[in-house]
Amino acid sequence: MRRIRFLKYITLAAFAIIAVRLFFIQIVEHDSWVAKANEQHTMLETITAKRGEIYMMDGNEPTAVVLNQTVYQVIIDPAVTPKDDIKNALEKHAKQYITADIEEVYKTEGLRYYIVAKNVPYSEANEIAKEGIDNVWLKEGNRRVYPENEMASTVLGFVNADGLGQYGVEGSLNKILTGKDGLLKSISDVNNVALSIGDNNVKIPAEDGKDVVLSIDRGLERGIEERMASAINSTAASHAAVLVMNPNTGEVVAMTALPNYNPGDYGNVKDASAYINQVTEVPYEPASICKNFAFSAAINEGAMTDESTYFNQGYEIVDGWKIMNAEQRSMLYGQINMRTALYWSLNTGSIQALKFLGGNPNEITKTGREKLYDYYHNKFRLGQATGIELIEGVGYIEDPNEGWGRDSTYANMTFGQNLGITMIQTATAFSSVINGGVWRTPSVVKGTLEKGEVKPLENREAVEDQILKPETSAMMRSMLINNRSYKVRMGIDKPGYDVGGKSGTAQVIVDGAYDESMNNLVGSYIGFVAGAGKMPEYVIMTKMWGEGQALSGAEAQNLFDSLSNYVIDYLKIKPGGV
Amino acid sequence: MSSAQTFVSRREANPISFTRGRNTIRLEKRNLGSISQIVIIGLLAVIFGLISAAEGTKATSLDYEISAVESEISDLSARRDDLAVEKARLTSVANAKSTTVAAAMTDATVTGYAAD
Repeated sequence: MRRIRFLKYITLAAFAIIAVRLFFIQIVEHDSWVAKANEQHTMLETITAKRGEIYMMDGNEPTAVVLNQTVYQVIIDPAVTPKDDIKNALEKHAKQYITADIEEVYKTEGLRYYIVAKNVPYSEANEIAKEGIDNVWLKEGNRRVYPENEMASTVLGFVNADGLGQYGVEGSLNKILTGKDGLLKSISDVNNVALSIGDNNVKIPAEDGKDVVLSIDRGLERGIEERMASAINSTAASHAAVLVMNPNTGEVVAMTALPNYNPGDYGNVKDASAYINQVTEVPYEPASICKNFAFSAAINEGAMTDESTYFNQGYEIVDGWKIMNAEQRSMLYGQINMRTALYWSLNTGSIQALKFLGGNPNEITKTGREKLYDYYHNKFRLGQATGIELIEGVGYIEDPNEGWGRDSTYANMTFGQNLGITMIQTATAFSSVINGGVWRTPSVVKGTLEKGEVKPLENREAVEDQILKPETSAMMRSMLINNRSYKVRMGIDKPGYDVGGKSGTAQVIVDGAYDESMNNLVGSYIGFVAGAGKMPEYVIMTKMWGEGQALSGAEAQNLFDSLSNYVIDYLKIKPGGV
Repeated sequence: MSSAQTFVSRREANPISFTRGRNTIRLEKRNLGSISQIVIIGLLAVIFGLISAAEGTKATSLDYEISAVESEISDLSARRDDLAVEKARLTSVANAKSTTVAAAMTDATVTGYAAD
């Protein structure tokens, strides 16, 4: 009996110990044990949102020009992965994706993890998987693919290694393209399969990024880039930029700059300036192109017409500075009208427009400066971001009253110096000069592609502002067409079409002053194409430059000539009078 | 004094308990012992546990099916993306321009328009 009683006490004591321990585990240390269990059994995964694709127009059809591709890294454990098997498999199925010298990897002691191939596409990765080699892992990833290679690279931008859009549309519309990652929190088993048991399972689905449709026509873009490359090769220029937009809608149908780069291989770009969109980000002095704006302002104010005259002596002295005309042929001296002044791009003519604007044809006045500022800054919106869906430079327009030498500054501004404006600002303002007088926010994005339909971007503010009288616009169109009358005679401009335009040759500022050697010039040209007697359908702007090179408006004009005819043919612009 | 003894039968002595036609059983309330109760509760817990585990296993097998389907979707999605990329490369204007057929073509010119 004693023994049984002793055994009973021992058993009771053992149970008591277990009970106390259980009490501690389940009550006192409850939270800590639950946390440990959760750590082992809870699967916490980010559901990555799929980045939206980017489309361009191909006629009337959106066509993908930026896509996503699932790619794989091939990972081995050199200590146990059979060398010959993996080497043969990689050479057979994914030779171009091998990133390591297999022999060297196997010679290195202590390696237990090595990536031997990167960016292997699905089909090739699948072939490697089928080989069934032990201890080879395929790690899934994602890659942005640009099937058009370098085309429109400064408009598209690229996605960096962290998945962030940089430059171009990839950068400016990164938020729309990225979407929102989701979350999966679930109990999982040893095979890492998410189980539906448990009370704390959470699944927040990812919101994929939206597909964005650009208004750029990819065929037109390609043709323009080819002509630009040809123009660069046949001149001293090393760079060129082109913009083609519809002045009646603000839609950009082509925008590009050379040299460009392949966004899929952005890391190998030697000169980072290739990333910058020269059309929207870089303010510069477009020179005589700005005469269009000075003339428009004076005509719109009723201060002058194309037939108004002034005395041209080949130069003007303002604030003690002698401002010369580039064109000094004797037939132009004396009394000439403003149409002639614009045709020959006389600086004295645009200064005269400023004088007319101020109400005194003999001198530049404060009123003239203030009115010109009002037109340049407030109406044409120069020196301000236009609102296009891309990263923009701003530039500047000098104050009409603050600072020294306002008259000479404003005289220079009439022919496009002493200011900083971008190509997109210039082309948008020029569009309002020739489209009937309406300033419209330019756009490079048609919208987002949802269920096969293109829907306009949400929360986009588009301005439509009648800044000039239609009569002013008509007079400017007539003068701009007159500028190219010799191109018609030479057979460069096609019969049945009205092509108008204006060149600009700008001195480059070196060490804070204009390079007077005239060996460092930037050439620009802006114009429009229309069926004869009809409203303009497209505005084309070209810019050519090269460090230390004297590129005049003539080179930019030659490029414009080839592009205007190409645009007429490619976009099938109907001629007038047929 | 006569000491006559009187015999009293047990039935007579306790007339309530022993009456004719009644069995002499003892009616007493009986409860389960504490050990039996624990055993029964334990058995019930095991039964419920087994039922619950069976249900859980059924759910888990469905989770495995879901996981397999999701894996298949992911696989097909990767394949679809791969084909879309291949198609885009083949139809890119960069590629089209480099074909021999395209090289032999001349640039388009305006040839005519549909009547308005």
